[in-house]
Amino acid sequence: MRDDDIVNFDEIARELRKPVRVNRSFNERVMDSVLRLPRHARARLWKRLTTPRTVTITPLVWGLAAASLLLFASLGVIHAKEDLHRAAQPIAKALFATPVAATSRAQSVQFVLVAPDAKKVAVVGDFNGWDASHVAYQAQQRGGGVWSVTAPVPVGHHRYSFVVDDSLWVADPTAPRVIDTDYGLPNSAIVVEDDK
Amino acid sequence: MEASSDAAIVARVLRGDAEAFRGLVDRYRDQYARYALHMLGNQEDAEEALQDAFTRAYRALPRCEDPERFGAWLFRILVNRCRTAGTRRGRRARTFVADEAALLGASEEHPEDRAAWREEIDRAVHRLRPEQREAFLLKYVEELGYDEMSQLTGVGVSALKMRVMRACERLRDLLSEVHSA
Repeated sequence: MRDDDIVNFDEIARELRKPVRVNRSFNERVMDSVLRLPRHARARLWKRLTTPRTVTITPLVWGLAAASLLLFASLGVIHAKEDLHRAAQPIAKALFATPVAATSRAQSVQFVLVAPDAKKVAVVGDFNGWDASHVAYQAQQRGGGVWSVTAPVPVGHHRYSFVVDDSLWVADPTAPRVIDTDYGLPNSAIVVEDDK
Repeated sequence: MEASSDAAIVARVLRGDAEAFRGLVDRYRDQYARYALHMLGNQEDAEEALQDAFTRAYRALPRCEDPERFGAWLFRILVNRCRTAGTRRGRRARTFVADEAALLGASEEHPEDRAAWREEIDRAVHRLRPEQREAFLLKYVEELGYDEMSQLTGVGVSALKMRVMRACERLRDLLSEVHSA
């Protein structure tokens, strides 16, 4: 026979519902990590700016768009010359996020963003825990507003983004855009293939 | 002064006032620390899982579809973090018993017996299989209904009922052993 007088689950539950003590520094630790992340307001602004909508195209806008495309294309040529040893990559891998060297499980990928007014650019993605402070993914200014970093990315499908000045999330304008399912922020897609 | 609602705080955070997130940490820290502690068995792992849950919630805040129910959404994240932490790490030395004993020190009758009984309960809970412990805590300690538990865990109601039943049987055996010893 079960001894339900001794083992009373309501009593057990009452005991387990009693408060527990949390380290006094807990709040500060949480807020430290939160405050290191990009603020939401500017990300939302970026999202609004990048949400598809109907716009009127004037000849002036067409001209600016064409000039931008020419700029991106010319930068692509410059980088291609700098990395002549680099094998040609399929366009789906993105023009500026391009694998340049191989290991058995990861490839070095060069990420490039044109951001003339930026003071800091980092790459975040599922390959670095979306950590904008990750040392290996801090882009360096190359002149002419061009920022780039070459960093290891595991073989496979990945989502990534640039974080400008610790606050503005910017999808790679040259890479396929993916529907975000994690943070409501713009993401780009990259496929890193094993050389073997 | 009336405390701000979860939705009001979430709105402030999404407008760029990251510091406002502190209000949500204050509001849910203790209650959710309790669940993490019972699931993971030690203070360090529990606080790490809870911190991780808060950080993930902040990053994913634009995806919180019903900010008025931020607490429920955060709890779902925490349950998943506890599952991950539980499978990733071996159990470390339990450190919360002393804290619990301190909290129970004010008990009006037989405080030593009561603290010892509480310690046995903790020990028995942590001898449950993780999925049974999760179901038992959600049902008895967090007082969720089976439908809510099913939504939270992604496990069917029948399976959850079975887990709770098995957990109760196991706890009854373990704690009866203590009494008969």
